[in-house]
Amino acid sequence: MIKFVLSRLLSAVPTLFLVSVAVFTLIRLIPGDPVALMLGDNVDPQVYAAMSHQLGLDRPIPVQFVLWLKSLLSGDLGRSITSDQEVLPLVLHRFAISAQLVLVAVTIATVFAVPLGMLAAWRQNSAFDLGVVVGGTILMSIPTFWMGLMMLLFFGLQLGWLPVLGYVSLGENFWDGAVYLLMPVATLVLHETGILVRMARASTLDVLRLDYVTHARAKGLSEGQVLRRHVARNAFGPTWTLLGLILGNLLGGVAVVETVFTIPGLGRLIVESIFGRDYPVLQGCLLFVAITYVVVNLIVDLCYPIFDPRVKSA
Amino acid sequence: MSIGKTNKYLGGLLVAFFLLAAFFGWVYTPFDPLAINLRAKLEAPGSGHLLGTDEYGRDVISRLLTAARTSVSISLLTVSFAVIFGTLLGSVSGYARGWVDRLVMLFTDTLLAFPSILLALALLSILGANMYGVVLALGLAYMPTVTRVVRGAVMSLREQQFIEASRLMGHPVHYTLWAHVVPNCLAPVIVIATSMFGSVLLTESALSFLGLGVPPPAPTWGNMLAGARPYMAQAPWLGIFPGLCIALTLLGINLFGDYVRDRFDPRMRGL
Amino acid sequence: MMLEMKPNLAILVALGGLCASTAVADTLNVQLSADIRSSRPGVNRDALSDSMALNVSEGLVAFGQRGNIVPMLAQEWTVAEDGKVYTFTLREGRTFHNGAPVTADLVKQSWEALLAAPKFNCASYFNGGRGAAVTSVEAPDDRTVVITLDKPNAMFLKYTAQSQCGGMAIMHPDSFDADGKWDHPVGTGPFVFGEWKRGQSLHLTKFADYVPLEGEIDGYAGRKEVLVDDINLVVTPDRATAVAALRSGDLDIVPFLSTSKASELSSDPAFKVQSAPHGGMITLLLQTADPVLSSPEMRLAIVKALDIPELVDVATHGLGVPNASLVPLGSIYHSKVQDERVSYAPDKVPALLKAAGYEGQELVIQTNRRNPINENVAVIAQAMLQMAGINTRIEVLEWATQLDRFRNGGFQMSAFNYSNRADPVLAYSAVVASKEDRGSAIWDDPKAIELVKEVLQTPDGDARQALFDQLHKLYLAQMPFVMLANNLDVSVSAAYVQNYTTWNGFARLWGVSLKK
Repeated sequence: MIKFVLSRLLSAVPTLFLVSVAVFTLIRLIPGDPVALMLGDNVDPQVYAAMSHQLGLDRPIPVQFVLWLKSLLSGDLGRSITSDQEVLPLVLHRFAISAQLVLVAVTIATVFAVPLGMLAAWRQNSAFDLGVVVGGTILMSIPTFWMGLMMLLFFGLQLGWLPVLGYVSLGENFWDGAVYLLMPVATLVLHETGILVRMARASTLDVLRLDYVTHARAKGLSEGQVLRRHVARNAFGPTWTLLGLILGNLLGGVAVVETVFTIPGLGRLIVESIFGRDYPVLQGCLLFVAITYVVVNLIVDLCYPIFDPRVKSA
Repeated sequence: MSIGKTNKYLGGLLVAFFLLAAFFGWVYTPFDPLAINLRAKLEAPGSGHLLGTDEYGRDVISRLLTAARTSVSISLLTVSFAVIFGTLLGSVSGYARGWVDRLVMLFTDTLLAFPSILLALALLSILGANMYGVVLALGLAYMPTVTRVVRGAVMSLREQQFIEASRLMGHPVHYTLWAHVVPNCLAPVIVIATSMFGSVLLTESALSFLGLGVPPPAPTWGNMLAGARPYMAQAPWLGIFPGLCIALTLLGINLFGDYVRDRFDPRMRGL
Repeated sequence: MMLEMKPNLAILVALGGLCASTAVADTLNVQLSADIRSSRPGVNRDALSDSMALNVSEGLVAFGQRGNIVPMLAQEWTVAEDGKVYTFTLREGRTFHNGAPVTADLVKQSWEALLAAPKFNCASYFNGGRGAAVTSVEAPDDRTVVITLDKPNAMFLKYTAQSQCGGMAIMHPDSFDADGKWDHPVGTGPFVFGEWKRGQSLHLTKFADYVPLEGEIDGYAGRKEVLVDDINLVVTPDRATAVAALRSGDLDIVPFLSTSKASELSSDPAFKVQSAPHGGMITLLLQTADPVLSSPEMRLAIVKALDIPELVDVATHGLGVPNASLVPLGSIYHSKVQDERVSYAPDKVPALLKAAGYEGQELVIQTNRRNPINENVAVIAQAMLQMAGINTRIEVLEWATQLDRFRNGGFQMSAFNYSNRADPVLAYSAVVASKEDRGSAIWDDPKAIELVKEVLQTPDGDARQALFDQLHKLYLAQMPFVMLANNLDVSVSAAYVQNYTTWNGFARLWGVSLKK
C-alpha cells in the first residue's frame, strides 16, 4: 500500500514537469506581456526594454525556465509581477479559500444527489424518476454565472437577507464567513447536484441489471436489503470516479462563481494572472493545481476498490 | 406514459427541433443577424421583431437561429473530438496497463491540470479568433474525462470472464478491444458524452463570461447569454431566449441520451 | 423590475450579527474593480493604484481643475533665468501620517529614493529620456528645496504632477522597513493608508491632523476636507455584481461605470450618475504603413463614411461629446480652430475610394471586450464602413493581445482608447513619433514631430496656443487616425452620498459626505 502510494507520487513527477514546461512556454508565446500591460498606452521603448531586462524577460525562454526550476527546487516560487507578493503564500492562501467553498459544496451535493439518483433508478420510469431526471437536467443546464446573479438579485437585493458582496474567511469569524459563503455554495451545490444525480442514477441502473442483483432478489431479500447491500456499494464506483474528477476540477478554482460573488479564490487568481500575464503567479498556481489533481486522483484510485469490488486492489 | 417513452419522444423532439433550427438558420433568417439598426435597439419582442432586438438593434431571432448552427457545431465537434480520442486512449490505457497506461495517464493528467481558459486563450491566438480554437481547446479539456471514465470501465471489464475468455481463445488484442471491451463501456461513454454535449454549451458561455470564447459579432448562444447580463433589468428577453435555447437543448439531448443508452447497452438487448 | 433599494431595517435587526459588516454611518464603501498593484505611488502602478495613492499622498505641486499647476506641499516656487533651477519653499505646518513634520531634508530623501527606484514608472521623464534630467535635489535649509535640471524643460512641473508618476509624492522614510524595502505609504494626504486585505479590500482612514487648505476643491489640490471616518474600497471585479451591491446598499460609490449601465441608472432617483469628459481619447486608429491605408484619400474616405456624432452617441450611450481634436474639450487650449472637423459625407466616399485605388480589400478592425466603448466603436464603425462600400471585419482580441499589437503597430484599424493625459501636448506625443523609433507611433510625419517638439519647449501662453492650432490643422489635412471623442469619467453614487465626482480618472474621496 505505502509502496503503491509512493510510486504513484513518484510517477506524478513527470506530469508536474510536463505541466510546468507547457504552462511556461504557452503563456510566454501568447501575445502580450506583463511589461506592456504595466506601461499601457504609454509606450517608451527604452523603459520597456529596461523593465523587461529587470524582470529577466528578455532572456531566451529555456534559460528563464531553467532559472525558475532552480529556484523552485530551493522552494522559491518567485514573486508576483503585478503585486510583488511571494507566490507560494499567495497561492496557498487563495487555495484555502477555494477549497472551503468547493469541499462544502461537493459534500452537500453528494449527500443529496447520490440517494436521489439511486432511488430514481430503483423506481425507474415512475413519476419520481421523471422528476429527478428533468429536475437534474434543468439544474445543470443553467450557467453558474446566471444562477449566481439571480441569487444575488433575489436574496441579496429583493429580500435583502444576504450581503451582495464581500468575503470573510471562516477562520476569521465562522458565522460571518458562513453568511458570505451561503450563496456561492448554494450555486455550486445546485449545479453539481444536477450532474451527480444523473450519474448516480445511470450507474445504479447498470448495477440493477446485473445477475447478482437478480440472484439476490431471487434469494428473497427485500428490495431495501438488495439496494443497501448490493446495489449501493457497487453503483457508487463510477459516481466516485466522476466525483474525483469534479473535485479535482473545482479545486483548481471556480473562477466564475468567485467572480460573481467577489470571493478572492484560486480560480480568480488564475484568470487574473492569465489576463495580467503574471507569469510567476500563473506558473505557481498551475503547478499547485496539478499537485492537487495528482493527490485527489490518487485518493480516488485508492478508494476505488472499496466501492467497486470488481477491481482488484493494487 | 413511461419515462422511456418520454425520453424517446420529448428528447427526440427537442433535439430534432434544435437541429432543424440550426439547419434553418443556415438557409434563412428573417434579418441579417449582424445588421445593426441603431434606431431600433432594445426593442421588446413583438410585431416587427418576433423576439425583439439587442443593444445594437440586431434581430434576436435571426441571431438565435445563426447561433444555433454555431453552438450546435461547436458542441458536436467538441464532443466528437473528446469521445473519439478519449475512448481510444482510455481503452488502450485501461486494457494494456503498464507503461502504455502510464504514458497515456501522464498526457491525460497534464491536460486535466490545465485550465481550459488558458488553453482557449493560447489556441485562439494561434488559430485566430474563431470557433475552431474554442473547439480544440474544449475538446482537449473534455477528452481526459472520457479517457479516465473509459479507462476505469475497461479496468473493471478486464477482470470479467467473457474478456478473459476472448483472450484465452487467442483473439488478437485489437479484436478483443473492439468486439468486447469498447461496446461494453459504451454506456458510461454515452452518458458522459450526452451530458458533455450540454456542458460544452455551458462552458462556452462561461468562457464568454470571462471574456473569451467565440468572439462577437458572430453569435453563439453562450456569448449572447453572457452579453445580455448588463441588460438583465432593461431587456430581459436578451438573456431569456438564449438561456432557454441552452436549457432546452440540454434537456432534450440528455433525455434522448438516456434513451439511446438503453438501446445501445448490450445488457439491455433482448429484454 | 421592482427592486427594493435599501435592505429592510427590520430584517437587518432580525438577522442581527449576520449583516454586521454592512456600512456604519461614517464609512464610505467604494467599488474597486481590481485590487491595486502596489501601495507605492509611481512604482508598479495602474490607474486604480494612482487613484488610491492620490488620496493618501501629496507632492510639491499638483494639477488644478483645469490642468494648471497649483501649489501643494510647496507654498511657492521660482524658476531661475536659465530655466534649469527650481527653488521650492515648503508650506509650514504640514505633517506626515506618523506625526513627523515635512522638512526639506525629507523631501530631498523622498525624491532621491523615488528617482533611484528600479521600477519607477516615470524614470524617463526625469533621467533625460524625455526632455531634461534631474541632476540634483538639495535642501539648503529646512523649508527650501532646490531641484536642478541639466537643461531647461517647460514641462518639468507638469511631469512632476502626473498621476502615473504618483505626483512625485513625498513619503516619509517610515514607509520603508528596516531592510529598506517598501512597506506601506506614510504620506501627507488627507487619508491614512489602513488595513489592506489583498484581493479583498483596502481601508483609507481619515487623517485627523490634516489641515485643509483654504478655498475650494481644485483638481488634485485645493481644499481637502475629509467628511467621513473611513473609506472601505471593496474589490468587486464583476460589474453586474457591483451594481447589485449599489442597489442593496453594500456599496455607496461605483467610481468607474460603463456608459450603458450609467444610462440605465440615470433615470433612477436612488442614484446620482455623473459623467464628464477627461483628457483621454476614444479613437479608431489607422495603420498608415498599411498598403491600403497609406493612401491619404483612403483615410479621408473612411472618415467621411463615419457619421461620428451618431457613432459617439451610440458607443457612449448618449454621454460622450464628439471632439475631433486631441486638445480636450475642457482644456484652456481648446480654441475655435480645435472645433474644425471633417464632415460626414458618404456621397463623397466613392470618388475618394476610386482615387485611392481601393478594390474592395478587406480591412480588419481590432477591438476588445474589456472596454465596452471599444467594442461599440468597432461594431458601429464596421456597419457604417460596410454601408459605404468599405469591406471590413471585426477581430475581437483579449486586451493584452490587442495592446501587444498596438505596441508593435501590428494592426490595420484598432478601436483603442488612450488614458487620461494631463496636458494636451502629452496627448500629441502619445501618437506623434517616427514609426522606426517607436512601434506604437500612429502619426509619423516630420512636420508634426517638429511641432510637438516645439510645444514641449514652449511655456503656457499664446505661442503654445498657435502651435496646437497648427497641429490640429495638420491632423485634419493628413487624417492619420480618427479622433472620435474624449473618454469619460462616469460614476454613480447613492443619492445619500454628497459631493462625489470622479475627476480625470481619479476617485476623489475628500469633500464627500454621507447624508442618510
